[in-house]
Amino acid sequence: MQAVPLAWNVVSGWQAQGEIPDQAGLVLYFGTREALANGKRFAELRDMFPGAHVVGCSTGGQIRNNDISDDDIAAIALRFDRTRLRLATAPASDAANSRSCGESIGRALAADDLAGIFVLSDGLNVNGSALVAGITAMAGERVPVTGGLAGDGAQFQETLVGADFAPRPHVVAAIGFYGKAVRIGHGNAGGWDEFGPRRNITRSSGNVLFELDGKSALDLYKRYLGDEAAGLPGTALLFPLRIYDPKQPERALVRTVLAVDHDKGSMTFAGDMPQGWVSQLMRGNFNRLAAGAADAARQSVAAFAEPGGSDSVAILVSCIGRRLLMGQRTVDEVEAAAGELGATMPTLGFYSYGEISPHGPSGICQLHNQTMTVTTITEAAR
Amino acid sequence: MHRLFARQRAQATTPDGGVDLDMLGRLVTEAYEQTERDHRRADRSITLMVDELDQLNRTLERQVAERTVALANRETELREQNLRFDAALSNMSQALLMFDANSRLVIFNKRYCEMYGLSPDDIKPGMLLADLLHRRQAVGTYSGNPDEYAVALKAMIARGETFNTSIELPNGRTIEICNSPMPDGGWVATHEDITERRRAEKVIAHMAHHDSLTDLPNRVLFQERLADTLLHTKNGNRLAVFYLDLDNFKAVNDTLGHQFGDELLKRVAERLRGCVDDNITVARVGGDEFAVILPDLASLDDAAALAERICEAIREPYDLFGHGVVTETSIGIAIAPDDGTLPNHLLKNADMALYRAKADGRGVFRFFEAEMDATIKARRALENSLREALVEGQFTLHYQPILNLDDNRIPCCEALIRWKHPERGMVAPGEFIPVAEEMGLIVAIGEWVLRQACADAATWPNNTKVAVNLSPIQMLNAKLVPVVVGALAAAGLPASRLELEITESVLMQNTEATVAALHQLRSLGVRISMDDFGTGFSSLSYLRRFPFDKLKIDRCFISDLSKDDESGLAIVRSVTALANSLGMVTTAEGVETAEQLDLVRMVGCTEVQGYYIGRPQPLKEVSRLLADNLPRQAKSA
Repeated sequence: MQAVPLAWNVVSGWQAQGEIPDQAGLVLYFGTREALANGKRFAELRDMFPGAHVVGCSTGGQIRNNDISDDDIAAIALRFDRTRLRLATAPASDAANSRSCGESIGRALAADDLAGIFVLSDGLNVNGSALVAGITAMAGERVPVTGGLAGDGAQFQETLVGADFAPRPHVVAAIGFYGKAVRIGHGNAGGWDEFGPRRNITRSSGNVLFELDGKSALDLYKRYLGDEAAGLPGTALLFPLRIYDPKQPERALVRTVLAVDHDKGSMTFAGDMPQGWVSQLMRGNFNRLAAGAADAARQSVAAFAEPGGSDSVAILVSCIGRRLLMGQRTVDEVEAAAGELGATMPTLGFYSYGEISPHGPSGICQLHNQTMTVTTITEAAR
Repeated sequence: MHRLFARQRAQATTPDGGVDLDMLGRLVTEAYEQTERDHRRADRSITLMVDELDQLNRTLERQVAERTVALANRETELREQNLRFDAALSNMSQALLMFDANSRLVIFNKRYCEMYGLSPDDIKPGMLLADLLHRRQAVGTYSGNPDEYAVALKAMIARGETFNTSIELPNGRTIEICNSPMPDGGWVATHEDITERRRAEKVIAHMAHHDSLTDLPNRVLFQERLADTLLHTKNGNRLAVFYLDLDNFKAVNDTLGHQFGDELLKRVAERLRGCVDDNITVARVGGDEFAVILPDLASLDDAAALAERICEAIREPYDLFGHGVVTETSIGIAIAPDDGTLPNHLLKNADMALYRAKADGRGVFRFFEAEMDATIKARRALENSLREALVEGQFTLHYQPILNLDDNRIPCCEALIRWKHPERGMVAPGEFIPVAEEMGLIVAIGEWVLRQACADAATWPNNTKVAVNLSPIQMLNAKLVPVVVGALAAAGLPASRLELEITESVLMQNTEATVAALHQLRSLGVRISMDDFGTGFSSLSYLRRFPFDKLKIDRCFISDLSKDDESGLAIVRSVTALANSLGMVTTAEGVETAEQLDLVRMVGCTEVQGYYIGRPQPLKEVSRLLADNLPRQAKSA
């Protein structure tokens, strides 16, 4: 396998860190909505890699090497020697269809030698939980599903996904990796601290939350945000919700807010908020968030039992909420993750509206929020 | 240098190696602001959280306090409930045990220990049923196989069945045991001492089958025994059923009172029992009716001999509370299989034979004979017709004039009842009056006669009196006086125009009540006559017991009268003289010839009555006669 990082900026255009491979099978690219919306960057990549699947999405910031950028486009070209790829896309009209959308992608990619799926999804019109459940239901639970929901900075207006076409809203794209050679590692961690009382989800519908302990959830957020309530829904990311089924408290998930409706007093989350589950507010501490990112990277590379005989790549998908909270200190988590991955492994990624990865202890693929998710890909030595 | 500042400086470094101070300043300021913002958020979060947790804590504390109180209350309640349960358990009249699904004792009460003579050491919660039964065996209050019983009972309980049984203890007590399964696989056993209940049941069963007065079997038991005996009477063997009653029991009851009646029945029962062996059933089957079953009858003579013995035994005088009382019994006998093989049939036939015995003079016994059936049926038909007759108005009154020999006028007519049966035509009073008397219907008929006679007499001229016969049965009726008063009042007839005729037999009953009633009637102005004098005992002493207004000399003295019959004439003359001396009017009955009329006039009779004077005739005719007030025959005489 060969992995060649690329970057684009207004001043220099596309720059490759190494020789551009002839037979690249897959090009991944991440940029702001503004940078991708006009389709020109996709067209340029299409020209540069005519035989590759060119897949990318809008973000809340790009991760490239050990840094974060809002201006540059981060990309990587991958050439596989013994791994087949298949691209599947599906329209994501609204959150209610996410399950069937996931099922159609799962059906398209399912195969005996399917080794993993990397998903890039619309970030605002999708119930990520239902999407992943749909994919898993069709592709099989043993297949690791990783990736993330596209972002739109802190604006939450429109997210774009491109998959051999120019990036546009309402799209879910997924790449299937087939064969025995490919090795896919994954890690996922939050680093958030729960605080305050545990509250029961007393009224919700799908991924829309109304009440906690019989009181308006939106009011609770407004009280905790104070002045910053004006920045909703973005500022709600400062206080993610940890939720769990009281029957299985060990399988807790973190949920982050995508939208609020002041009239209905409701909050829309990136994944399901099942009624009867328990929730608890979380807040972040810079150091512990960075430590979480390092943990995710560690889990990911632990999957590589044998030393990599070829190039490898690490795709970091981290939550926009973390970046909103940490500000300039966000780089700390990227550096911490990179520290675990080693200096030679090229890394890229983006700040997302939701992360997809198998859940640590259970291995069941799920949508996460407010986490750092690391997916590492390589091919085994011959 | 701080890592962050190093990055900021790197970011602010221009391509030529210089530092863009403005940019550096902006980055550093922004970093400060971010940090401050983060501190403010942390502050706010912590404050709110502490508030929330504090509130939560208070809520929890309040809830804990409330629940502690509730818990304490509940504990008190439970303790009280346990006390109540304990009290209920220990004061139950039943013994109670509760076992779990493993046949281990969970609960028992004191009563169980008492019932089976167990000491507190013998019984402990947790012990197996079989072990408990072994203990009971040791103290002698269990006689079965403990292990087998425990296994069998457990199996039934496992099938969800209730198991009931009763046992007899060596001390004679009877215990009823009920084992009922519980949902958890265990069961509850209740043990109840039903000894008293069983005894009471026996007494009740005895009472249901025996007469409380005499303690003889009652009709129900008699019929059962009879059915049973008939069933066990082998081919060729015979059996006799006696049906008997007392001939004048009603009189004893009515005159002396129920206390005497009851006592008489007891004595009769004793004598009946004394007449037969113990294995022979003697039952009281009705008021004064008794019945006997004589099984394995060798010959009819044996039955006759026993019947004779019974008649004699009953006939012996009784001393009831110092009063001498005499009664007699009549017996009807039916023989199985000759006269029937079914209990009811035999009883009915014995009853018919009894009927015959009473008709034949009482104090005797009669065997059933086939033709009795027809006689009885005819009699029943007559009884039914009689009841109808009264309702349907089939009775009429005829009046026979009585002539006063002094003035040849008719001072009085005797009312005589006539019955025109719609099918049989005229029925003679001699045929139906005795039946009406036996039925007790005479009281109602007598009342009708009184009312009708008074009403008719009220239409007669010249203060003509009406004479009405009173049956002895009527005399015994306590309502006689009011009935007479009522009849007079309804008709508007002065009491002095009513004559009541009674026979010697009325006085033979000789009760205080009878005499008192006669006096009462007389004090009202009603005249009392002695009727048919000479037919009974003709005892002159009766005449002294009550001051009769009139003596009617029976026709039997008159019909044979002739000039040559000196003795006959002498009797009539002396009776007449006696009556006259006592201030009574005398009436010669049955005067049918001119010669008889002359003779009775000669011996001094005051009045005469008979065909020669005038036959009984309908009201219309007698009314016409009275209008003239001169009897045809008298005129011609």
